[in-house]
Amino acid sequence: MAEVVFFLAAIGALAGAVGTVAVRNPFYSVLALVMHLLSLALLFLLLRSEFVAAAQVVVYAGAVMVLYMFVVAYVGGTSMPLGPGGTRSMRIGSIVFAGVLFVELAIAILGTGLKALGTEGAPYEPGFGTPARIGELLLTKFLLPFEIASFLLLIAAVGAVTLARRRGGLHDAEEQRITPLDLVRPVSTGTMAEAVGTRTNATTRERTGLEYGGHSGRAGPEDGDDGERTGLEAGVAPGGDTGPEDR
Amino acid sequence: MNGRKLEGPAIDFAGLSPLLALLGGAVVVLMVGLLRGRAAREHGVPALSFATLAASLGLTIWQLDSSEELVAGALAIDGLGTVLNILFVSAGMATVLLSWRALAPRESAHGEFHALLLTSIAGMVVLAWSTNLVTVFLGLELLSIPLYVLCATEMRRATSLESGLKYLIVGSLGSAVFLYGLALIYGATGSTDFAGIAEANSAVGLSSDPLMLTGIALSVVGLGFKASVAPFHQWTPDVYEGAPTPVTAFMAVATKAAAFGIFLRLFDVALIDSATAWAPALAALATVTIIAGNVGALGQSSLKRMLAYSSVAQAGYMLAGVVVTSGLGVRATVFYLAVYLVMNLAAFAVIIARERETSLGDDLAAVEGIGATRPVLAWPMTIAMLSLAGIPATGGFIGKFFLIDATVDGGYAWLGFVIVIGSMISLAYYLRVIAAIWMRDAPAVAQSTPVPAGPRPALAGGSPEGDAGPGSVALGAESPPAQAGAVVYGGEPGGGKAHWEVALVAVLCAALTVAAGVVPQPLFDLVQRCGDAFTNLV
Repeated sequence: MAEVVFFLAAIGALAGAVGTVAVRNPFYSVLALVMHLLSLALLFLLLRSEFVAAAQVVVYAGAVMVLYMFVVAYVGGTSMPLGPGGTRSMRIGSIVFAGVLFVELAIAILGTGLKALGTEGAPYEPGFGTPARIGELLLTKFLLPFEIASFLLLIAAVGAVTLARRRGGLHDAEEQRITPLDLVRPVSTGTMAEAVGTRTNATTRERTGLEYGGHSGRAGPEDGDDGERTGLEAGVAPGGDTGPEDR
Repeated sequence: MNGRKLEGPAIDFAGLSPLLALLGGAVVVLMVGLLRGRAAREHGVPALSFATLAASLGLTIWQLDSSEELVAGALAIDGLGTVLNILFVSAGMATVLLSWRALAPRESAHGEFHALLLTSIAGMVVLAWSTNLVTVFLGLELLSIPLYVLCATEMRRATSLESGLKYLIVGSLGSAVFLYGLALIYGATGSTDFAGIAEANSAVGLSSDPLMLTGIALSVVGLGFKASVAPFHQWTPDVYEGAPTPVTAFMAVATKAAAFGIFLRLFDVALIDSATAWAPALAALATVTIIAGNVGALGQSSLKRMLAYSSVAQAGYMLAGVVVTSGLGVRATVFYLAVYLVMNLAAFAVIIARERETSLGDDLAAVEGIGATRPVLAWPMTIAMLSLAGIPATGGFIGKFFLIDATVDGGYAWLGFVIVIGSMISLAYYLRVIAAIWMRDAPAVAQSTPVPAGPRPALAGGSPEGDAGPGSVALGAESPPAQAGAVVYGGEPGGGKAHWEVALVAVLCAALTVAAGVVPQPLFDLVQRCGDAFTNLV
């Protein structure tokens, strides 16, 4: 029975992994990855790691894959099929290298002198793979790796926000002070009106041939005080009530 | 469970303090970055970041003589760890100074920039102190992930974003390969502790087992990506060129020190009994790296690309110190890392200064003729180039001498020859920079004054094209400040002034480079401490 489940899960995992990289449509690619992860969860179950298997299903096949799905849907999904990149020689070269690596790994697994690989492995002991045992390990032997992993997640989140938050034109948004003028300012003017960034940047960039398009009316960081005023002045300046939308 | 009381592991907080200072400082800096006042963010955050690094340096010096396990076999503080930590923190302090008034932290918010920097240094500390494969991998990721973001922090420059993306993809590939190798090593030895791996390795005689050898090979590849060892170095020039220059300087010196720290620890402690298998392979890699780096640097006109290829070549020199598996080799590698740190920082500081003074960016033309006009920058650059080439009376010479001594002593004399030949090739491109500094006239455009709008990448507000475009009327009232901003914001702020802290870093590092070449004894004494981590080396 265990053998049947093992081979089913192993074939599922391999097919899912191959499908993830081979399928052109990113949406199907994600689905193949889900299949791969579910098969892995089955393999964990065979190893008597019920907790890890459950976590695999809930966290990876569940939550993370839903996020992937959202991203795929957000960035276009089917409209942009992924094709093989590079030149023909690069593709052939990559296949050759992958084949060599596969052969090497096969030799490593099959040719090893370690005797335990072909056997049933270590005997099962009660309590193995339970949440209590895993929690105990995380609080004793792997206390420091556990803490470092948490810091890693924190800084990964900080990095992601740093990259996602700031696009051109948002530079001095934090300089904005809340004033009573905000209440009387016409709708759709002020910093947000400028921040939409649909104005002349494209043409500016083409003409200058440089990447630093910047944003219309945005002051540079060096002239700090001017930058601080910019947002408000844009709102109350003569003609300030005509945002880009009005044109 | 079962009412059983769980005993937590003993934690040596004193030994852990240099790391805790960095992580705590990162959180504090992140919070201070949210303050409203402009001065608090632009000057307070770098000052706090600098103070954090200084505190970590002080704590490291306090713990310089301790040598013990820290938390449940995950980390250990010892001579190698503390000396490398001094290098990381020094590189971090220089980077904070170099990026103080740079563009990158302004683009990405100061708090986040410095928090990422401090976390990356903390990752290096974890990596260099780790005695367990799990900690090694986490340290590597804690080092790398902030660096991927830091590379992309000049967000309006496409090459910066490209460099971040490229580094992310290549670095993740390297991490994945490394993790595969670690998994195979664990599979072969049944232990994640370095001591356990070394024990299993010598007891069972795994040194010729295919599983173990494949694990070692994959680890070499993974670390090769991080240390930019050829043929896994192709990302280096692009990433170094695209990243903001202070970040490039940090990556070039600190990441390399961390990668070689773990090279030494993993190979000379855990895998020492398989040395007959991996040492010849690493020697071949070192040869390829030295040749590829030095030949690649010959045709570069961008100083950052040239230094990137030069860093590849230097990685090859330092790999020779790992190959020989002797205490002398370890000391030579760490000595070279220290010298490499100061001479490279001096060069990058001059590049940053010239980027701010001229509109030429990091092109070789930016340093042309500065021997006459800017001697305070010309001398550090000259010393850095001479030292990188290995001219006597500089630290680079002593470092190379030390490395060649180690290779001859370890039975790899031919590798010493390769180092010499590599240095000879390298003279061609290092001397080209020196010739440009002293023997050419400054190009006329180099000393350009601020040109309002015009060919600059203007910020449209008050510029002609902005006026023509839709939506500019609303902003007509404030065109003068917008114009002024356009000039400065052009990325290459032509006609700007070099800030004193950049020149200070350049001069200080150049002075240290010369000091390491003239009186190397203090540095010898420092690296002497690195030996105590390697009990099974001669």
